[in-house]
Amino acid sequence: MKIYAPDGSIGKPSFVLAATSPVITGRRIGVLDNGKPNARLMMVRMAEQLAARTGASVSVVTGKGSGHNAATACSDEVLDQLEKEADLVITGSAD
Amino acid sequence: MTELLDLPSDTPEALMELFDSRGWGDGLPLVPPTPERVGAALAMLGDVDPDEPIATLAPRFGEATRRTIAVNAVLAGCQPEYLPVIVSAVRALARPEVNLRGVNATTHPVAPLLIVHGEMAQRCGYNGGLGAFGPGSRANATTGRALRLILLHIAGAVLGPGDASTQGGPAKYSYCVAENEASTPWENYPASRGIDAASAVTVHCGEAPHNFHDMESDHPARILDKCAAAMASLGQNNAVIAQGEYFVALGPEHAATAASHGWTRQDVASYLFDRARLPASLVRAQFDRVAWAPWMHAMGDDHLMPVTAHPDNIRVFVCGGAGKHSSVIPSWGMTRSVTLPVEP
Repeated sequence: MKIYAPDGSIGKPSFVLAATSPVITGRRIGVLDNGKPNARLMMVRMAEQLAARTGASVSVVTGKGSGHNAATACSDEVLDQLEKEADLVITGSAD
Repeated sequence: MTELLDLPSDTPEALMELFDSRGWGDGLPLVPPTPERVGAALAMLGDVDPDEPIATLAPRFGEATRRTIAVNAVLAGCQPEYLPVIVSAVRALARPEVNLRGVNATTHPVAPLLIVHGEMAQRCGYNGGLGAFGPGSRANATTGRALRLILLHIAGAVLGPGDASTQGGPAKYSYCVAENEASTPWENYPASRGIDAASAVTVHCGEAPHNFHDMESDHPARILDKCAAAMASLGQNNAVIAQGEYFVALGPEHAATAASHGWTRQDVASYLFDRARLPASLVRAQFDRVAWAPWMHAMGDDHLMPVTAHPDNIRVFVCGGAGKHSSVIPSWGMTRSVTLPVEP
């Protein structure tokens, strides 16, 4: 018997992730607080330890922007800022 | 194109085994989506392109075509004539204000409630009467299930990578009712939202229904005070997300009592806006972060804060049969309901 698969194709992604740098010495680390409780505390600590171990620096710590929260994407202004001020960004923490 | 697979045997067990091996399905038995069955469903849409992507569904960004939607409708056990309703519901879910990525991926147990309005509800047998939220209607049960299968298979809302719901919830299996227009003392719900169509669908992403009852009151205020009490809960996302909507599914008898006192749908919403409140000091004491409207932050601690920022966020429709029960369907919060005409 022939049946159709139920999942279909994946559409074009609206973005492409940048290539990962093999060495982060001298690079700038950004932290994007996703708005979940304690996310900023945990991710800033991670960024500071990563910077201390690798010779990178923590260049920017930011929320998602005014009116944005854990359930929404961050603002275009914050994305622009991260693009200008950071070479890699740590984000994503659940509750 | 939609992939065709070989099923080694036409037994239910073989289909379940195949789906289990691929991480598909909702755990319940399925109907094989053969080209014949899918073709019969697509025939209900008329002269349209079955393989045109009509929506891209997050978080997988799967392309929903009429054919893949029909495949999932067949799997769920739908009759072919339900397909226009399901296609329209998928269009509604893909609207940006629904925030489907968040709806699917959150830790909250949110599920999209589908409400079917108008001629299609009548013709296809969608139940908006006695026990509408419960079992017994093939149209309600299988259409709601088809939407969930579409979210699982096309949108990728699978436990873990695509659905982080801490406890899940029964509404995630199937969540579909009809508006009881015959017992609605006001214009039908789509008309109240500016939709002039013979048939329409509404999607509202929220919790399972919270019942409230009033067996004895002959005035809407006493009935709606119980509704307001069910709305003003610190445990719901609405308590801290002021843009969140509430859907109030009024039983026909409660709706009739409201109308008999000259109350319009808007009067019901305005009354609930005024009565469903929590002390601002309590909300501030209980939450470190609140997503209030700007004006709400200006209110003092002694203010009784409404649980939503505007009466229009309280959406009233009639659903159910005989009896003195109604229900409130709180929102996930960062989502807005959508009502669209049924179109192929």
